[in-house]
Amino acid sequence: MGKRLPLGTAIGAALLALTACGGGSGGTPTVAPPGNAAKLSLAAQVGQKAFFDKNLSGGKNMACSGCHDPQYAYGPPNSLSVQLGSDPAQSGARAVPSLRYRESTPAYDDHAANPDGVTLASAGGGFMWDGRAASMAEQVALPLLNPLEMNNASKADVVQAVQNGSYADLFEQAFGADVFADTDTAFADLGTAIQAFETEDLSFHPYSSKYDLNIYNKIGGTLTAAEMRGLVVFHSSAVGNCSACHYAGVNFAGNQGLMTDFTYQALGAPRNDKSIPGNPDPIPANDDPAYYDMGLCGPYRSDHTPAELGTPDPYCGQFKVPVLRNVATRGAFFHNGVFHSLVQVLHFYNTRDTHPEYWYPASGGSGTAQDNPSWALQPTYVPGATVARFNDLPADEQGSVDEEVPLGTGEGGDNTLGGGTQARAAGSAPAMTEQQMSDLICFLNTLSDGYQVPETAPTSGTCVN
Amino acid sequence: MNKQPSQVFRKSSKALAEASLVAAICMVAACNSTHDKTLAGVVAASAYVPGSTTGDPTIKAGYYKGATVFLDENGNGVLDSGEDSATTDATGKFSLKVDHNASGQLVADITTSAINTAVNAAAPSHLILRASAAQVADQGEDKIVISPMSSEVQRLVEANGSSYAAEKANIATRLSVPFNSAAALSVSGADALADVNTLSGNEQAAVLFEDNALTNRYTYATTKLDRGDKYPDALAVAGGDPTLADTAGITSGETIPADTRTTITFAQAQQAAFNIEGVPAYDNIFIIIEENKSTDAVAGNPRAPTINDILDNYNKLSTYYATSNPSEPNYTALGGGDDFGVTDDNWFGCGASGQYAPTDVAFAGGTASDGQVIPAFAALPPADSARRAGYSPTSATCGDAPTQGAVHNIPGDNLFTVMSKAGMTIRTYSESMNPGQDPRADSIADPAVVGLYDETDGDGTEVKDTQAWPVRSQLYRVKHGPSIDFQAARNLPEFYADNRTIFGTQYTEADWKKQTAYPDFDASNWNYDQFGTDLATGDVGNINFVVPDQCDDMHSVGKSGVDGESCAIGSSNGNNGQNAGITRADIYVNKVVTAIKNSALWKNKQRRVAIVVMFDEGEGGNNGSCCGWNAGGPNSGAAPVTVDADGKATATTAPTNYAQGNFGHGNSIFGIVTNQQDVGTAKKAVTDSDAYSHFSFLRTMQDMFGVADPARDASYLNRAKYTEKFIAENIMALPEYTDSADTHFDAVRPINHAYKIPDTYVQKLYPGDITGVVNPDTGMVEGAITPQVGPDSSQDNVWATK
Repeated sequence: MGKRLPLGTAIGAALLALTACGGGSGGTPTVAPPGNAAKLSLAAQVGQKAFFDKNLSGGKNMACSGCHDPQYAYGPPNSLSVQLGSDPAQSGARAVPSLRYRESTPAYDDHAANPDGVTLASAGGGFMWDGRAASMAEQVALPLLNPLEMNNASKADVVQAVQNGSYADLFEQAFGADVFADTDTAFADLGTAIQAFETEDLSFHPYSSKYDLNIYNKIGGTLTAAEMRGLVVFHSSAVGNCSACHYAGVNFAGNQGLMTDFTYQALGAPRNDKSIPGNPDPIPANDDPAYYDMGLCGPYRSDHTPAELGTPDPYCGQFKVPVLRNVATRGAFFHNGVFHSLVQVLHFYNTRDTHPEYWYPASGGSGTAQDNPSWALQPTYVPGATVARFNDLPADEQGSVDEEVPLGTGEGGDNTLGGGTQARAAGSAPAMTEQQMSDLICFLNTLSDGYQVPETAPTSGTCVN
Repeated sequence: MNKQPSQVFRKSSKALAEASLVAAICMVAACNSTHDKTLAGVVAASAYVPGSTTGDPTIKAGYYKGATVFLDENGNGVLDSGEDSATTDATGKFSLKVDHNASGQLVADITTSAINTAVNAAAPSHLILRASAAQVADQGEDKIVISPMSSEVQRLVEANGSSYAAEKANIATRLSVPFNSAAALSVSGADALADVNTLSGNEQAAVLFEDNALTNRYTYATTKLDRGDKYPDALAVAGGDPTLADTAGITSGETIPADTRTTITFAQAQQAAFNIEGVPAYDNIFIIIEENKSTDAVAGNPRAPTINDILDNYNKLSTYYATSNPSEPNYTALGGGDDFGVTDDNWFGCGASGQYAPTDVAFAGGTASDGQVIPAFAALPPADSARRAGYSPTSATCGDAPTQGAVHNIPGDNLFTVMSKAGMTIRTYSESMNPGQDPRADSIADPAVVGLYDETDGDGTEVKDTQAWPVRSQLYRVKHGPSIDFQAARNLPEFYADNRTIFGTQYTEADWKKQTAYPDFDASNWNYDQFGTDLATGDVGNINFVVPDQCDDMHSVGKSGVDGESCAIGSSNGNNGQNAGITRADIYVNKVVTAIKNSALWKNKQRRVAIVVMFDEGEGGNNGSCCGWNAGGPNSGAAPVTVDADGKATATTAPTNYAQGNFGHGNSIFGIVTNQQDVGTAKKAVTDSDAYSHFSFLRTMQDMFGVADPARDASYLNRAKYTEKFIAENIMALPEYTDSADTHFDAVRPINHAYKIPDTYVQKLYPGDITGVVNPDTGMVEGAITPQVGPDSSQDNVWATK
């Protein structure tokens, strides 16, 4: 069997990538930024200008909006696993998240309160996949100064770009006439400005999905039968159990239905490298077999680095549970962007334990290679081959991988459906049926902003009946 | 719904017809108008005087001077031409000469130009009182006392189709419970109907307290009569609000009956004042509030036998929604109908600047009505984060000079102020406050107070820790205080006396008396169970919030693991409903309910006492926009509204982050037990599945205690006024409700089961709250709930007394 892409959609998305993230021309956005500019504070107005300013990158070719495109829910406009940098020879190390619905994220804490008010405190909060930025304002510095991303050599370079820019006067109005006198202060103010834009502008939290119409009991918000079934799967602890982490209720600061509890989980996602046949965009950093991206325990944050190599650490492999709003508009999923469709993601949750051969490289075995399902990362499997489960974590750091439903069985758990701690046996029945996953995707589709109620409701289709 | 009003209507129509007949015969026969009979007596008054710091209101006795007394021959409550009248003198005395053939009730018409001598002030509102002919005959034509009590006896005669003698005896029974004293109290029927000025001691105090509440009711009855209200109230009409037929913007498909109501009669108004919006008047309600469990974690859970006994055998609401997340906004919504955008559990100084800055004043100390000595407190609780949640001096949100964040200090009226202004009582009984602590502060750890938890539930299940644990911090949290976020509630003179203690489990009175947390406080005479004392002495409030500590309310405190065992984090928090902490809370409910049921108040059939067992919030779901929520989300533009005299709402400038509040948060159980079910004949196992929320419950309590008027939306507290009609008529001021797909579900209504759910309507429940949990002992799913389609099997009212 020949090489194939994990997903048909990846092709088109990869083409898009050539002209989108970091590409394009000119210093102004081609589409007027959405939102409520008239109501923005001075700081937020500065932030808005800066957000779309390509001069804030080393190559003067990449604005924040390049990877956080307002047309794509402030997420990447393509399905690349990781995005190209301002230096086009470079690529990032992690998938680019949407910036929507981030404003109520608390700072990281090893014992963060859970927004549902009932779940025990655990690692939670913070910005970036490993929570290492305490606020959106602090977060701004990370891509700006990362050589793989916007590639500014220094804070001073960034501040100089602002000072040279068309909104330098506005910046002084917002932060004081002498704001440029101190580079560190000015750089911090830039973060404050972008945070203000991300907080104040409604386009970052529009609450304009079908789901919102539904939960706010508005005309047009009636879920179809399929969407309703998907909603129940999402919440059913014995089936999808999604809401155990993708918490749907009233969140911090009155946010609704963010579908995250800001906690961290180790899901054991497959390594996004060349071991995946036909992988369109393996992460370059993964070419180094000694390199592991382990989230909370490094390499980008240092407070949970295992004391010595090979010491099991419960924080290793944990990444932030993302907001699921607009998830259906994405083309790259999980921290390493190894998946490119919701179909793939849900099947991973469902069969990671029962059919690890679909997801991880295998070696050995004998006989004729068998075809895996079309959504699997690994196209084939040789009977009897040894599967390298959790291959994106060192062997000693695989002990904290999540075994809750639907990944795990619930067998051996202490007392609840969701408390199961045992892996599902290879070859055993997964938690969800194909129909349930199909319905779940229909429900996830309702989380996309900008929903327009159709004049006449469709009467047929996968997500209708 | 309660059938009482229609019976009353028939009865009074008959009485009216008979009276008319007598009058007609007189006219035809040209009766000789000799005026040779004299009816004489007094019109007795009571008056509430604000300012008591004990928790029991000061109510003075007096008379109405300048009241018009007349023989109401046609029973319409109004002085008609041809009916003779007299005016009371400065000592309330009247002497009325009437025809010797004349008959009927004797009415005292007390206008705002009459003087209540108890306070030497004009009557605040028109009031009609009456004494029946049977009472006149009983007391003697020269010793008649017209009073709220005389009105009440006659109202009961009409309501129950009974006799003067029977209701005179009943009211004596009703009053014969201890009143703010350990001493037994026996009030005779004659004393109940006597001039209250001639009584003394506890008996007088008991009668005055009752007189005051009755005066409120009969004043309201008079208002309804004068106004020509339709009867019954729109939201009490069987089926649904008939006035919605003429209202634009109501979702099609709702049940809207034809409006066949007619203008209220005197007799109907008398009854309607005790059944506002179809919610019967109660004397006492006890509201036991548990923490953070969805319906499916409790209903059917064998770890909560007491609560399930209530749900299974008494009454319940099956579509009850909390208001927000986390605790503080929910308790605040219960106490005043709006969480004001609070989305955390922080202290009331948070965000409180400018017009919202705290105006608390120092408390000099005092003594509560039950003898509890209250120490002096500073203007604000101690300035540390242990006692002010979220506090640090420089915090921009919760510090000494906050500049941002949601306002946690809510202005305006609330349930506590409206009850106080009416001369009624409302208390919060909290377990495990440190002796001598300021009730506005969280409790703190005390290593000197140590106790072993070992208690047994009603079904014999024992929960026992392996070792004794010292008192940890935060057993008592102000986030669980329904009054705490309300500035005007904290400024009530009785505020400190109304925050009272209730017995503990793990820590006994003797344990607590070893306290070292407040070394300046002498705990030797401190009463750790004012609740028990007050039940025994009849000194509980009309409304009583019962707030278990965080070990006995399914919340849990402390660190995870074994520290604290049955109260450790993980012992009950979490929605799985499977841990010891569930039983621990159930044990406490059992103890509280048993104590109430053993009280003389509960056992007195002539009194109405209710117990509610509810949760502050569910697991964390929401499903739409139930019952007064902000149904438009954070971008809705929601703002508090003011309502003018014409009922028109105007949006105000929203306080910071207001639109982030008032979201729904999960379905949770709501059980109701009344003494009328236990000692009377009220129906049991009534389920009402109409959609209700904390706002609905607040509205219901306002109706239940007569501290609101359905004709004046503004009289309902904050969002409790957001009925379907109010929202529709004021949609411009309430942008969060635009484009509603279900205006009934969006709106607040009293808990009265009047609305009949259409046949095809699917109950709106949040999936996360109804999927059930697996019992590890049996492997079976428990508590899973299937949404109901169509109406309930009956439209019985959960509060019905018959």
